[in-house]
Amino acid sequence: MSSVAIDSKKKAWGGGQSPFNLSYGKVMMWYFLMSDAFTFGAFLISYGTTRFFSALWPDSNEVFASFPWFAPNGGAPMAFVSLMTFILIVSSVTMVLAVHAGHCNDKKGVIKWMVWTIIGGIAFLSCQAWEWTHLHHHGAWWGAFRTQPDGTIADAESLKHFFSHTVPVSEAMGIPGADAAHKFFNFFFTITGFHGAHVASGVVLNIIILLNTINGTYEKRGHYEMVEKVGLYWHFVDLVWVFVFTCFYLL
Amino acid sequence: MSHFSDYESDQSRLYNAHHHDKNSPESKAKVKNIWKITLWLTIITIVEVAIGLYCFYKGVPKTLPNVGFIIMTLLKAGLIVSVFMHLGDEFKNMILTILIPLTLFIWFILAFLMDGAFWLSINARFFNHM
Repeated sequence: MSSVAIDSKKKAWGGGQSPFNLSYGKVMMWYFLMSDAFTFGAFLISYGTTRFFSALWPDSNEVFASFPWFAPNGGAPMAFVSLMTFILIVSSVTMVLAVHAGHCNDKKGVIKWMVWTIIGGIAFLSCQAWEWTHLHHHGAWWGAFRTQPDGTIADAESLKHFFSHTVPVSEAMGIPGADAAHKFFNFFFTITGFHGAHVASGVVLNIIILLNTINGTYEKRGHYEMVEKVGLYWHFVDLVWVFVFTCFYLL
Repeated sequence: MSHFSDYESDQSRLYNAHHHDKNSPESKAKVKNIWKITLWLTIITIVEVAIGLYCFYKGVPKTLPNVGFIIMTLLKAGLIVSVFMHLGDEFKNMILTILIPLTLFIWFILAFLMDGAFWLSINARFFNHM
């Protein structure tokens, strides 16, 4: 690297070097994540807007109260989603450890931690698949609980289980409840689906990078920056989940 | 060293700063820090779920806890971005190119939620069946 002359400004704008001392690949990943953050943000804010616009809204503690095998018919509010959150956070941690192993040029470490990250991602997707199937069996889906032209509501029986006990059953099972549940589940499946697609593509990317690592591609290259870049994507996926978890399950 | 394209030039000098020996004290300290942050993330999540369940079972309105949830979520997000994604280790101006655009969310969220609440109050005032 040539010594930085008095003309450092001219050198900086002269091209041929990457800003912030980062490779352009990493910078571009950050800015892609920014754009994706605004996309998810827009989805979540429109969820919030619709909710603020509604007099009635399902209670997540009632909707999400089942746990596979232990409580398949409810009675365990927030338990399953807490497990899912924990799984994704841990897979994020194993990803950081993979990146760290990359910094230490520890190929075996990178492989070990990437494998755990991929397992975590697949576990999360499996949990989400169970959650979706379970809700679908109760009638929830895109376009569900629509009021038919003759005034009846499809799958109305399930509706009373989605609302807090403070809501009168007549309202919950009537048009206000059906409308609210209809919007709630449209948003739920869209947003968790969009997020799940990101998790799935993240798992695919992680597998590709793992295979490259095993083949020695990055060893030959002299650095494991590619692991860092997919790591950024994976952490973003975890970050989005933190916000989805808060908006859908806590607030 | 293989030839890099003329367009990209040799960026390997950008990467070499990081290399530690995996058994060095710096490396071990970094790993310890990662697990420490993990513990914090887990604790914050447990607290959030506990508060949520408490309000649900005791019938407590969630208005104040909601503020707490938002603060704790932002805290978790901050830890993940600065430590796990290493944004905290980058140059200050790089950090700002990420953080400053995100402040647009403040306006975005306030504007839309206030709109939603306003529409509801208008409907309640002028259309009694809604």
